[in-house]
Amino acid sequence: MVDAMSNAVIMPQLGETVAEGKILNWFKSVGDEIKEGDNLFEVETDKVTLEVQAIVAGRLDEIRVGVGVVAKVGEVVAVVGAGAAETPKSARPAMQTLVRSAFEEVATPLGRFGAAKAPNGVRATPLARRLIAQNGLDIAGLAAEVRRQGGERIDEKVVRAALAAPAPPAPTAEGEVVMLNAVRLRTGERLAENWRTIPHVFQAIEIDFTILDRVRRQRREAFRQAQGFSLTYLPFVARAACLAIEAFPLINARLADKSLVLSREIHLGIAVDLAHNGLVVPVVRNVGDLTLVGLAKAMNRQIGRARAAKLTPDDLSGGTYSISNNGAFGTAFTAPIVNAPQVAVLSTDAIRLKPAVVSTSQGDFIAPRMLGMVGQSFDHRAFDGAYSAAFLSRLKQILEQHDWGEDLGQAS
Amino acid sequence: MESCEMATEQSAAATASAPRNDDIGVETRLELFRLQVEIRDCEKRAYDLFLQNMIKGTSHLSLGQEAVAAGFGVAMRKGDKSFCTYRGHAHTLARGAAMEGVLGELMLRDVGLMRGKGGSMHLTSVEHGVMGSYAIVGAHLPIACGSAWRAQYLGQNDVSVCFFGDGTTNIGAFHEALNFAAVWKLPVVFVCENNLYMEYTPIGEVTAVKHPAADRAASYGLERIVIDGNDADIVYRTAQAALAKARDGGGPSLIECMTYRHSGHSRADPAKYRPPGELEEWMKRDPILIYRQRLKEFDVDDKTVEAIVAHSRAKVEAATAACKASPAAPVELLTADVYADGGWAWRN
Amino acid sequence: MAELSYRDAVARGIAQEMRRDRNVVFLGEDIGKAGGVFKTTVGLYEEFGPLRVRDTPISEQAILGAAMGAAMTGLRPIAELMFADFLAVCFDYVANEMSKLRYMTNGQLGCPLVIRTGNGGGVRFGAQHSQSIENWTMMIPGVKVVAPSSPVDVIGLMAAAVRDPDPVIFHEHKALYAMKGEVPDGEIVDTLGTAKILRAGGDCTIAALALMAPRALAAAEILKRERGIDAEVIDVRSLVPLDTRTILGSVAKTGRLFTVEENPRLCGWGAEIASIVADEAFWDLDGPIVRITTPHIPLPAADHLEDLALPSAARIVDKVRRVMNG
Repeated sequence: MVDAMSNAVIMPQLGETVAEGKILNWFKSVGDEIKEGDNLFEVETDKVTLEVQAIVAGRLDEIRVGVGVVAKVGEVVAVVGAGAAETPKSARPAMQTLVRSAFEEVATPLGRFGAAKAPNGVRATPLARRLIAQNGLDIAGLAAEVRRQGGERIDEKVVRAALAAPAPPAPTAEGEVVMLNAVRLRTGERLAENWRTIPHVFQAIEIDFTILDRVRRQRREAFRQAQGFSLTYLPFVARAACLAIEAFPLINARLADKSLVLSREIHLGIAVDLAHNGLVVPVVRNVGDLTLVGLAKAMNRQIGRARAAKLTPDDLSGGTYSISNNGAFGTAFTAPIVNAPQVAVLSTDAIRLKPAVVSTSQGDFIAPRMLGMVGQSFDHRAFDGAYSAAFLSRLKQILEQHDWGEDLGQAS
Repeated sequence: MESCEMATEQSAAATASAPRNDDIGVETRLELFRLQVEIRDCEKRAYDLFLQNMIKGTSHLSLGQEAVAAGFGVAMRKGDKSFCTYRGHAHTLARGAAMEGVLGELMLRDVGLMRGKGGSMHLTSVEHGVMGSYAIVGAHLPIACGSAWRAQYLGQNDVSVCFFGDGTTNIGAFHEALNFAAVWKLPVVFVCENNLYMEYTPIGEVTAVKHPAADRAASYGLERIVIDGNDADIVYRTAQAALAKARDGGGPSLIECMTYRHSGHSRADPAKYRPPGELEEWMKRDPILIYRQRLKEFDVDDKTVEAIVAHSRAKVEAATAACKASPAAPVELLTADVYADGGWAWRN
Repeated sequence: MAELSYRDAVARGIAQEMRRDRNVVFLGEDIGKAGGVFKTTVGLYEEFGPLRVRDTPISEQAILGAAMGAAMTGLRPIAELMFADFLAVCFDYVANEMSKLRYMTNGQLGCPLVIRTGNGGGVRFGAQHSQSIENWTMMIPGVKVVAPSSPVDVIGLMAAAVRDPDPVIFHEHKALYAMKGEVPDGEIVDTLGTAKILRAGGDCTIAALALMAPRALAAAEILKRERGIDAEVIDVRSLVPLDTRTILGSVAKTGRLFTVEENPRLCGWGAEIASIVADEAFWDLDGPIVRITTPHIPLPAADHLEDLALPSAARIVDKVRRVMNG
């Protein structure tokens, strides 16, 4: 109860367009004595995370909004009393409850991580499944290792051991030259063959990356600190493609003799330019099971290994879909060659600030937005332009409207 | 106060030839009458509303038992605490709770005494000293003892009054409470409304003694008191004496009031188990009939009497309208007030 | 600092609160002149007199009912139920009356009282005087439940319980009455709803209550010394409110949960914690949640049989070892 002797602590105004904030942490507990200027709580808005200090001294009598809960600007989040008065030291109430609904007394985690059972039948514990997804590991590989060693399941120990394996060396400015000529020769033959046999159609769609970019920039530093490499647009595009493929399974198929074989899993090939000396497309397996962060880690790992010439034949086969990322040089769009027996390949190019028309209830205005073209080359024998266009439209919707901030919150 | 046993015939004779002693006074008599009429009218309205499905669940009516509630209601002081059973509408009204609070609670609306959280069986109005109505038979007798212990310990001079039916006298808590109150000499008054039936069974068939409360008083060192519970004056005088005794440190009393309920045990009960003619006999001793006659004997004119009756009807209409207009309680109340902090949280 | 027995801590905790607030009163059977059948309330009658420390007849319903009536109207009573098993005799007051009063009356009435009771076995009193019944009280909405495992916790949680405005059921353990522990001087006030980490560790979490807490601690020492298993031991202390944050935080660290419960298996308090962890912390679990309990049987009087029934440190060690290495 806020009376004449106590002060209400309110959610402060955190930014012109900010209407609410989520409490991330309370630095004080109910019953603590507060001095003016003490850090009271940490709040996150869609723009920024900051600490809120106490503006009055006293005793923290009551916390009304708990950790993880959103409060509107101006809402009372706590009450600071006049101070320890004549009342005896009452038992400090321990219940800084998360304000949950009585019908959600237990917060069931939503969403799932990867499969509980590997293809060879070996099971993974829930913790192991989460760690696999968040670190971009491959359950099949771990399961094979467990079998080899006579173990029964993939548990945390197995996963930690795999993670502790020496990291790939940082890519050097120049790679080994000897292999590359063979790579270029080999891939060149295949590219020509694909171009000859596949009726290619290319489509592109313009994507507004403004909101995604904002999230990426906010989290960039923290991501680099935690993971040791940069968070680029590529993992977002790859993740969005995985989500879009759920509704458009023909994209993720193989053209066999007279049929289209849909693949249950998505094994994503990433075109990696070997410093202008050739192109390899290492595969990241089971990307559908990975979180955004896990996917970023897996892709980074494969790209690193590609540049360090550590790829094995297994890394280069089994892909069901591919991405070609050309944005580094500012190109508008690229029409890549389909990597048979896959039936489609996605391409991304430069993402830049450009003027765009933004429609509001007050009318249409020109505003600077981060725009980029995402294109897809596909095999017209597998499906038609309308299908591909619909896929691209879905991809656009995901990139522009998905809650990327939440995906990045799931860091391991 | 001497113990008195009143059979039906004796009571009628006594009233007819009683001297015109006015120890009670017209003002108090009018109050006794008003309360009985308002309780009757409100309970009748509750009956109708139940038939119209505006009162749900179950409801235990006190039609025919108004004199006990009124007699004690007027005798009790403002700070006294009363505890009653699920058949508690009359006792709640008699302590001054508003009709729309009572009817509203039966209709489970926001205007109800507990905003619909408790329902008909748990009417509570602390402001009027109604410290709960209790649905588990006998539970409130020890609770009343606790309230009386508090008064004794703190040197406060309120009395705790506990109302219950004849059936309660056979449950364990009755015996524990009586012994407890007697041994500690607590300022508590136990009032047994013997309406001759324990739910659907005649009380005589399940009780080892004839008067289920009074014939047990001696087991606890208490005086045997049986009175005509349909004569509000007799109830009032008996109540006054018991309250004064308790307030003076004289300890508990156990009072058995003979009465009768006009309707079944609850709304679900058409009371076909009563022997033919029994209801009609008791209707002749309807407390309100008795009291109308009493007022005549004390020269209260018809105009005054009918004004009270008309006022009661108007109050019932106004209360009914207010209840019908009242919304149901807001959904947030579902999880409110499980604990003293207003919430329900059992974990962090 | 001084060494104090658990039973003396009970008296000290009650005295501390009765000195502070004259509305705190105490009733029960043989608690006054006799100082309690377990000698837990020695000295209170002498200090506070017969009006504040009242001996009652053998009337459990009246004891709880009177405590409730007094609490509803202004006092802060402590009521003793000599043996926790007797709660069955007066369960109406916990299940139907004091737990629901505030809710049904829309907040008009409350029940600030403490029921303290002698819980648990291991003292050869037979099936009807040895049960661990914290779970009977945990499952009723509207009450709070604590079970201290050491003298300092007895005092601190007793103070917290008396000062709490809700009905609190305070389960003392009969087999711990003789236990001694260090207790600081001066006023001690703890907080309901807080668990205590008795031993930090990284390999598994062992959650225990009352008598099982020191046994779990002893088991953890053996596990570390002989098996290299580093267990984190949590004394749950408070079933309602439940300190899920501490338990979930521990499981997030270790990935493994064991509970050690003196109650018979079905619907024991650990089942509820296992359920919450299996739900909220599913993705932190690296193995099955295992409950180590007394079997689902009445307790025998014979000492060697009773000792077999209640989880011992050896049984805890054996179960944890087998499950962790499997």
